[in-house]
Amino acid sequence: MSDIRIEKVRKQFGNLEILKSVDLEIKDKEFVVLLGPSGCGKSTLLRIIAGLETESSGTIRIGDRVINSLPPKSRRIAMVFQNYAVFPHMTVFENIAFGLRMRKDSEEHIQRKVKETAELMHIENRLTHYSGQLSGGQRQRVSVARALAMEPEVLLMDEPLSNLDALLRLEMRAELKTVLSASNTTTIYVTHDQVEAMSLADRIAVMNGGRIEQYDVPTEIYHNPATEFVGSFIGNPPMNFIAPKAGWNISKNQVNKLGVRPEDFDVRFEPQEGFIKTNVLIKELLGSHQQLTTKADGEMIRINIPSDLQVPNGSDLFIRPADDKVRFYDQAGHIM
Amino acid sequence: MKSPVANSASAQVQGLARFNPFSRRLSPQNNAWRWLFWAGVSILILWVLAPIGLLIINAISTPAQVNGWPKSIAPGIHTDTLMFFWNYNGVISALINSILAAVFTMIIAILLGAPAGYALARFVFRGMTTYKMIIVMSRAFPMPLLALPLAVIFIQVGIDDSLIGLAFVHATLALPFSVLITSSLFMGIPVELEEAAWTMGCDRWQAFRKVVLPLAAPGIAASAVFAFVISWNEVFASAILTVQNRTLTAFLVQSLAESPAEIKFAGGLVLVVPALLFLFAIRKYLFSMWGISNR
Repeated sequence: MSDIRIEKVRKQFGNLEILKSVDLEIKDKEFVVLLGPSGCGKSTLLRIIAGLETESSGTIRIGDRVINSLPPKSRRIAMVFQNYAVFPHMTVFENIAFGLRMRKDSEEHIQRKVKETAELMHIENRLTHYSGQLSGGQRQRVSVARALAMEPEVLLMDEPLSNLDALLRLEMRAELKTVLSASNTTTIYVTHDQVEAMSLADRIAVMNGGRIEQYDVPTEIYHNPATEFVGSFIGNPPMNFIAPKAGWNISKNQVNKLGVRPEDFDVRFEPQEGFIKTNVLIKELLGSHQQLTTKADGEMIRINIPSDLQVPNGSDLFIRPADDKVRFYDQAGHIM
Repeated sequence: MKSPVANSASAQVQGLARFNPFSRRLSPQNNAWRWLFWAGVSILILWVLAPIGLLIINAISTPAQVNGWPKSIAPGIHTDTLMFFWNYNGVISALINSILAAVFTMIIAILLGAPAGYALARFVFRGMTTYKMIIVMSRAFPMPLLALPLAVIFIQVGIDDSLIGLAFVHATLALPFSVLITSSLFMGIPVELEEAAWTMGCDRWQAFRKVVLPLAAPGIAASAVFAFVISWNEVFASAILTVQNRTLTAFLVQSLAESPAEIKFAGGLVLVVPALLFLFAIRKYLFSMWGISNR
């Protein structure tokens, strides 16, 4: 079993608190993405799990082993780095074989394992090349193959796709998803790209300011953001957070903000009971839909509507959140 | 590809920024620049090559040619002077001493300098900037001020007139370079490579040996050779600290003062050639280490 339990892990650099008591449980074979803006502590958390940084306090368990004081090599983890970290003085073969040689596997096993993982990552015809002869995408393949060849209990990935160009990133993302779900390895994946997180994760831990704001499956993260931060970080454009409107029936008391996704509005062209008026400032056609930036009572509201609707600039629309699509947030920004 | 350093350097020379000395276009302004450029280049080349050329010509001339007038540019090759110098009593042993002192210097400079360079590149510690400053400052300390007190201490400790003692002094001269060169070398090796090695079963030392060292080896060798050359060329401390075990430079200073000119030239040539060959062999690493990429 390679479930991971992280309890009250804190990290401090001088007076700066990078991680503020993080708790996280990851099930065996689960794919968890740590998602957050830069500086939120996601990479630090990953590096603490890898043993590349030392936590200020807290415990980390893999299965029933406490791994806090272990050096990286004894943690049975493998890591994929953002800048690939493929050893430039070794061939692709030797790179993949490196970890196996370090733990003194038999030559026969090494040969077989390297061939197998190289085929899995489609670099089997590059085995004799050096990293200088490879493209960025191929280097990242080597780096993933190298990690998988070790058959680690936990696979750690630190923004593995962010050095690739956009098209290659899409391709690698889909491929990673297939390979990793087939490998059945518990994986922790760090990224700042919400699309990557949404498409890859079993569960997403959204981090901000050294805390985990929400830890849940992607649909929950998207539809029921636990905090205003999560709602505004995830989704493009982000969730609208608007003051409660008198026209709308608000069933709850002491609501500070309403959270509504742009696509979750009922839109009318004529005034109607229970709808409020909003003025269209900008409209952008985005292919499958058009995105309107509107203003109601001094508040910006973004609305997505079908791309075939004709809305003149400066015209008035009447909107209300669709049934069950509004979320309520209290003074502290937490969901109610 | 131009390195950023080369770019900023050329940006500083605003007037030359758009000037290409190899361009075939002949605008009057371009022509003037070109003239200046090649004049400058010629002066620099002469500055370096003329003494070496004269040294070689005189070392392979006969004594009569060296002292005679007019001089000929191609006097023919006579190895008599060189042979005489070679068989001169004490030259061989001084040469061996020089080599030994330089090898010791090289070893000390690398064994102490490379770990210091690694620490500067990989760790942040209290007093780091001051430490770097002191390393550079130690080069500013004049040798004559150091040499005499050192001689006294060496006599007290019992390593006076020994090559290892001299190597210590030379190592202090070479260390600032080996520390700074190796630290920039290690800085150029991404720390992720080491971290990757750690996660794949290496401890710190194994990761260093299997990943960092192979990548840094050429540069470390270059900085070792540089330490060798520093020791090889050093004359002041050698002359003061060695008496029986003279190094070649100290020996030449002592014995050649009254020698005829042709012998001086031969001695000079013997001194210059190894240093030149070494520096030539490592020029690529030296240039890239001083921040000018060698493309």
